[in-house]
Amino acid sequence: MLAALSLTACGRAPDPGPGVLIVSAASSLTTVIEPLVQAFECDTGIAVELNLAASSTLASQVLAGAPVDVFISADHIQMDRVAAAGLLRPATRTVLLSNQLVVVAPLEPPVLPATSPDVLASFERIAIADPVAVPAGVYTRAYLESVGLWRRLEDKLVPTRSVRAALVTVESGAVDAGLVYRTDALSSNKVTQVYAVPVADGPEIVYPVAVTAASADPAASERLLAYLSGAGASAAFESAGFIMPKARR
Amino acid sequence: MPVPITLDFLLCQGDFRLEMHEQVEARVVALFGPSGSGKTSVLESIAGLRSLEWGEIRIGSRTLYDSGAGVDVPSHRRKVGYVPQDLTLFSHMNVKHNILYGARSDRDDGSAEGLEQILSLLELHPFLDRRVSDLSGGERQRVAIARALTTEPLVLLLDEPLTALDRGLRARVLPYLKRIRDELATPMVYVSHDEAEVRALADWVVELDGGRTIRSGPALTPFAGP
Amino acid sequence: MTGDALAIAWRTVSLAALATLVMLPPGIALAWILARRQFPGRAMLETLVSLPLVMPPVATGLMLLWVFGRRGPLGGPLSQLGIDVMFTWRAVVLAGAVMGLPLLVRAARAGFEQVDRRYEEIAGTLGASPRRVFLTISLPLAKRGVLAGALLGFSRALGEFGATIMVAGALPSTRTIAVAIYSYTETGQAAAATTMLAISATIAFGALLLSNRLASSA
Repeated sequence: MLAALSLTACGRAPDPGPGVLIVSAASSLTTVIEPLVQAFECDTGIAVELNLAASSTLASQVLAGAPVDVFISADHIQMDRVAAAGLLRPATRTVLLSNQLVVVAPLEPPVLPATSPDVLASFERIAIADPVAVPAGVYTRAYLESVGLWRRLEDKLVPTRSVRAALVTVESGAVDAGLVYRTDALSSNKVTQVYAVPVADGPEIVYPVAVTAASADPAASERLLAYLSGAGASAAFESAGFIMPKARR
Repeated sequence: MPVPITLDFLLCQGDFRLEMHEQVEARVVALFGPSGSGKTSVLESIAGLRSLEWGEIRIGSRTLYDSGAGVDVPSHRRKVGYVPQDLTLFSHMNVKHNILYGARSDRDDGSAEGLEQILSLLELHPFLDRRVSDLSGGERQRVAIARALTTEPLVLLLDEPLTALDRGLRARVLPYLKRIRDELATPMVYVSHDEAEVRALADWVVELDGGRTIRSGPALTPFAGP
Repeated sequence: MTGDALAIAWRTVSLAALATLVMLPPGIALAWILARRQFPGRAMLETLVSLPLVMPPVATGLMLLWVFGRRGPLGGPLSQLGIDVMFTWRAVVLAGAVMGLPLLVRAARAGFEQVDRRYEEIAGTLGASPRRVFLTISLPLAKRGVLAGALLGFSRALGEFGATIMVAGALPSTRTIAVAIYSYTETGQAAAATTMLAISATIAFGALLLSNRLASSA
């Protein structure tokens, strides 16, 4: 799938210095964005360094003046923080991707696929990303509240540091099920997908992207944005399980 | 040569009160009295290690403390050679470095000679490379005295230097002290509770009890003792 | 992959060593002041020094971000001089030094407190200025405490994560062992994470051995 895009001939990432783009991206994008960025480096000769962490950390760093060129957040809230401080180039802000929530379970004991989110009530312990701080958790809570399941499930929920951590928790069998992104579920062969929340029913999960006001090379940054929004990148994102957004802001 | 020595001050520390009013010309002033009478406090006051209420401390022509004139020379500038009762030799240095600790490095002439004289006087040449912990009581005593002497002090302050030594050692170290008095001409303030030592060394004796001077006078005056 | 792993290991150890050197002068000075001097605001200073110890490392990282970021009171002027802290090796050293400092101060302070003041007093009467007393008497006699503190500070800097990831980012060029393990775990690269874990354990083991040897010989 992504093999066609990972060109190893281009070598390792250089140290940041003048002329290197620094891209802060939400860690849920990691597996798919690394090969894309490498392909971009090979095609254009523009060096890129990826800074992957939780979106709230990334936003704090930009607010403190970190030398970031492009910011890809896992929700609007973190991007808005940076926008409010006037640290984005507003014209460049767009929605890059969307995602889908799914319910997953460990491989053992086998669980049959379900047709309704009520299947969640049959589990004892359910891992989700922290609904207070992590975008994926915020989306999850919004969804559960919208289908009236939040109160019933609240005591069974095990909040984790990130959505990847929730996935790992399900893989280990420490919980009976988890709510993660479809992209996370597809990246793992140690979980089964039990229920996919229909996009129409689910919260609008968005990954906004923008060039920062402090970017040293806005032209190169916009080239990267264009690349990530282009056909080739979209194909890669879709095979990883991302959904193209309903509308670009 | 006798040297003018003024010890006129008041020290208050908690319940303890020490008052001195001595103004003499002497080579060796002995402080005599039972333990707790304040003898060590006198030495520490001269060395600048205690804060005083008021008074004057003068050795020779130098004023170390004068509350009226606002003079209180900090301890490291007083040039007193203090040999405390527990010696306080520096265990992380060898004998040579202990002795030389206070020697000024900016002197050029006379320094090597002065040092030689001290080392010969106290017969310390064989011990220079030894660790302090390898020495006997008497040897350590001599090292402590030598260390105080290399600073070329205005005055040598000795706190019971012979008390911890056995009779034989005492008999051997006492002559050194006499030689220091006679050959180096350094005045001394000497604390002891031993009559014989005081008689042998001092020309002025101050007898203390409970922080007060009971009596003071030239050493040849017979006195009762402890 | 092992080339990368060794590079990350080397970077982590050398930057932790640098952080230790950086924390030594202020650490020893603070330990000395707290051990020997009374002054108004002393309790405040004690608390300030202990802060990185009790606050979550991420919180300390945030504070460092505010101060040393390009828009910060210290980061701004430094940036004008062409010195960038954030997202560079300097940030790694800074985070390590700030997190390790309280441990150094504690141990060194205990070392100084154990030095009998009598030695310092007598050295003074022999003509040594306060500065000379400190260098020739207090510091040598407090050597064990200072050394123990330096080792503690080094170990702390070696394993530092929360503050580091805030100010140095998760960039490949500044990645330390701890950050690498985090990144690899987040992205499901189990093999790489295990390699880093093994390297981390080896280094920790080596550091402990060294520390024991030094402690018994000092």
